[in-house]
Amino acid sequence: MTQADFESILRAHQAMVYSIAYHFFRNGAVAEEIAQDVFLQLYQTRQTLASPAHVVAWLRRTTTHRCIDAARHRSRRKEVPLDELPDVPDTRSERDLLLSETLQKMVASLPAKPRAVVILRYSEDMDVEDISRVLEMPVRTVWTHLRRAVALMRDKASRFVPVSEARRHASIR
Amino acid sequence: MPPFDNDLREALRRREPPPGFAERVLARAGNLGRHERPAFTWRWAAAAAAVILAGGSLLYERHLQRVAGERAREQTMLALRLTGSKLHDVRQHLFELQRRTIELPE
Repeated sequence: MTQADFESILRAHQAMVYSIAYHFFRNGAVAEEIAQDVFLQLYQTRQTLASPAHVVAWLRRTTTHRCIDAARHRSRRKEVPLDELPDVPDTRSERDLLLSETLQKMVASLPAKPRAVVILRYSEDMDVEDISRVLEMPVRTVWTHLRRAVALMRDKASRFVPVSEARRHASIR
Repeated sequence: MPPFDNDLREALRRREPPPGFAERVLARAGNLGRHERPAFTWRWAAAAAAVILAGGSLLYERHLQRVAGERAREQTMLALRLTGSKLHDVRQHLFELQRRTIELPE
């Protein structure tokens, strides 16, 4: 991989790497730090990466693992189990913005691995098999994390959305 | 697709990094590239120094062993020479005694 190839990959995938880190921590400065480190690691190991598909998989895997490690080492950031999250404030007038904001907060408050699963599923649109490869965990475990996290978040969110929509959400699955 | 899935997708949609992100990464990569070669050279120099040191100490150890061996051989030779000289003296003394014994009956 030449310097020009690296620059091209950087510009093509910077949003992907930054987004994963951003949604993981919901913090722009931390996301930028992690994203920069991921690309510098790519720069250092660029001789060993073969195809563009390999590069994308490598970037997703490296970013996610860096985020999980960083989450474990960030002692000042205390993870709150989803069950203990405060109830969503009932401000229905700005429903969409607030729902989006609330969902981001919920995702960022999940334990590291379920958080990674949810982000890869909904931000990167990856299927469960691909997520299991990236996170090096069984497919069944990915499903468990995903179902549990989504069910809990849906439950929290249902207190926020209008009653008719809550019924619609509750009727799904 | 369930509406909640859509809500999650919307909440977790991709975000562009702050302006200048790529340039900052490229600047750091450039600095990294500049430091790569000296580090590589230093690594080789350190490896070469280690090999030279190990080889030198091995040769020096063999030299010390050879010197010790030569010294031991010289001491053995000296001891043999001294023993030979003593034996010669004893032999001379015995000859002298024998000669005197033979001369006495006259």
